[in-house]
Amino acid sequence: MKAYQAGLAKFEATDTQVFGISVDSVPANREFGKQNGITFPLLSDFKRTVVKDYGIFNEEGGYGNRATFVIDKKGIIQHIDEGRVAIDPTGAADACNILTHKKGTQ
Amino acid sequence: MIKSAFGLVILLAAAGILAAQTPTATPSASPAAPPAAQPAVPHTNLKVGQAAPDFTLPSTIAGADGRSVRYKLSDFKDKKNVVLAFYVLAFTGG
Repeated sequence: MKAYQAGLAKFEATDTQVFGISVDSVPANREFGKQNGITFPLLSDFKRTVVKDYGIFNEEGGYGNRATFVIDKKGIIQHIDEGRVAIDPTGAADACNILTHKKGTQ
Repeated sequence: MIKSAFGLVILLAAAGILAAQTPTATPSASPAAPPAAQPAVPHTNLKVGQAAPDFTLPSTIAGADGRSVRYKLSDFKDKKNVVLAFYVLAFTGG
């Protein structure tokens, strides 16, 4: 999440809202956000409904796996990173950049 | 009776040859393939081009009333792109 925080300006420049999302409680996420200087919203999927909807719920561990989704203004998924690559926000930032440029040419 | 038993033997022999060939064929075909070390990791069934499932979730942001602000994905439609970074708090060092 720190890497996303560091790249936040890039995302904001492409008209993009960043969310962190985990299955932890709001207080746990608040503490985590405070410790790591996270300014974007961290969402709490305590009931595990969203991690299940997005197909990344780890039944054994009871948590959601690492994954990043880029969703355009029409609500369509434009980019997916899963696993270790999702820790690096570069792919998502590039995808947002492409979306912004597409918009300019439309 | 003898004929069907003979057929069964042929079948078993064929299966044995197939079973013996499969493991020897795999390494020669892809010598650089990494071992399948992550069997239990689920992958998303969603694909690029599909609609993102909508949700409403509480956040770490406190509203004017001091309560947690709830965000709805579809509220951003026609307004902003959205990056959803799923993470695991317990495993997140940085």
